[in-house]
Amino acid sequence: MTPSTLTTAAAATSGPSAGSMDFAMIKRLVLKDWYFLRGPILGYLAAGALALALVSQAGEGTFFAGSILLITVLITIGIHLAMATVVEERKNQTLAFVMSLPVSPAEYTTAKIFANLLIFLLPWLALLVGSFAVIAGNAALPDGLIPFTGIVLLEIFASSFLILAVALISESQSWTIGAIVFGNLFFQGFLYYVSHIPSIGQTMNGPRIVWSPAAVNLLVGEIVSIALMVGLTFWLQSRKTDFL
Amino acid sequence: MSDLAVHFSGVGKTYPHFTLDDIHLELPTGSIQGFIGANGAGKSTTLRILMGLVHQDRGTVQVLGHSMPASQVAAKRDIGYVSEDLRLYKAATLAWHMSFVRSIFPGWDAAYAEELARRFDLKPEQKIKGLSHGQRVKAALLLALARRPRLLVLDEPTTGLDPVARHEVLGALTEVLADERRTVLFSSHNTLDVEQISDRITFIDRGRILDSDDKESFLDRWRRVRLEVPANAVLPEVPGIVDATRSGRLAVVTTDHYQPDLAAAYQKAGATVFAVEAMTLEEIFVADVRSRRERKAA
Repeated sequence: MTPSTLTTAAAATSGPSAGSMDFAMIKRLVLKDWYFLRGPILGYLAAGALALALVSQAGEGTFFAGSILLITVLITIGIHLAMATVVEERKNQTLAFVMSLPVSPAEYTTAKIFANLLIFLLPWLALLVGSFAVIAGNAALPDGLIPFTGIVLLEIFASSFLILAVALISESQSWTIGAIVFGNLFFQGFLYYVSHIPSIGQTMNGPRIVWSPAAVNLLVGEIVSIALMVGLTFWLQSRKTDFL
Repeated sequence: MSDLAVHFSGVGKTYPHFTLDDIHLELPTGSIQGFIGANGAGKSTTLRILMGLVHQDRGTVQVLGHSMPASQVAAKRDIGYVSEDLRLYKAATLAWHMSFVRSIFPGWDAAYAEELARRFDLKPEQKIKGLSHGQRVKAALLLALARRPRLLVLDEPTTGLDPVARHEVLGALTEVLADERRTVLFSSHNTLDVEQISDRITFIDRGRILDSDDKESFLDRWRRVRLEVPANAVLPEVPGIVDATRSGRLAVVTTDHYQPDLAAAYQKAGATVFAVEAMTLEEIFVADVRSRRERKAA
């Protein structure tokens, strides 16, 4: 027998050609991750709603308690998603099951990024909008907080994507934990840095919403960072030769 | 139809502490091939290359007419894969897994899946975390078989099973493989398991294929010959001798190319042939591995 006698019936196989993405398959994988995470996400939404309720109460103590709870909930969602959908999939050896299906490494990476972004965006957007609504609707809270809140919550989004990217690229629990530690330390420094930018720090306790050039630049920088991390993740994933 | 479901040609993969080297492997369509090797011999790496999950550094791999790893998606539409390190989602039921796999494979045979569930004594509504290891292996087999794959790749599916579960899984596998003509590649370090279901055998050791042949040919051509050799007698050089040990007047010769005239040649040299013994697949595998390792070391 020679290679030339190999069956050519393969040409009859249906489905996308090599190199193209099967978006129906990606959707199935995203829904699969959503199926396993829908319970915890609803729990996080409830905790986020509690945080917003605390923020909306009169009193400095409840405001700070609510703010800390809100930040904690969002950071935890990012960590939970990356650990559950990527790190545990490898650790629990369900990755072999997924990769035994007609899925390419590129489709797997795309599905993980979509799943994490969509599942993260659901509570993130709800809590972002909720935060803005609470600040705008509560006379005791200065409207000037809105730009600062947007910048901080977008940083949490970027930090969550960093954790996901490290989990996907390294496939290592240790590296992912390292990214979590780095993200949290960076976040503390970021809070200090942003609140000490004069055009932000001096207006955040004021009655007006001020989108200063510094605030806009920070938001754009955060969005560009997320886009760069998405691109870098795809590029590094495409260079991998071992997927199990 | 004389075609190959799997064809490896000069395949290699180099890791820091292990090299899979110059793998040539042919799996004719419709055959059930046992792939035997010790732990760490390179079985799983070979099968992962077959699945496109690990990319070879050298050589070409064709699976069901598809070039791997480039066309792995098309190839995997026709492959059922069950591996020792493949797990299902503990938090989901078998029914959820069946529904998930069915949504991907248009050829999913729901009636066959139900029949397999009955045959394997599995309850679809049960969560995976509530299943024993043997039941989990059977569940993975069900998910692989009910998609009616043209090629079934089983990587050490019986490893870690207790004797009863192993017997059940092998029995179930033997039963379903008898159902129809299906190409199967079954890897294991347990020769008994492989011998039970395979019609072709390939040995692999330290990243290299040692031998590959029909099971019956393996069993026919390997023999252990027990002799009594007078002190002054010299045994003739005979081709195919894999191992020869002598203790006083007693000698044991192992050959991988047994011919009936071998005994006659020894008798002619003055030896007395006590017995010409058939060997089990395990004995053949061990003798093959040891002799090649010794030759390499020499």
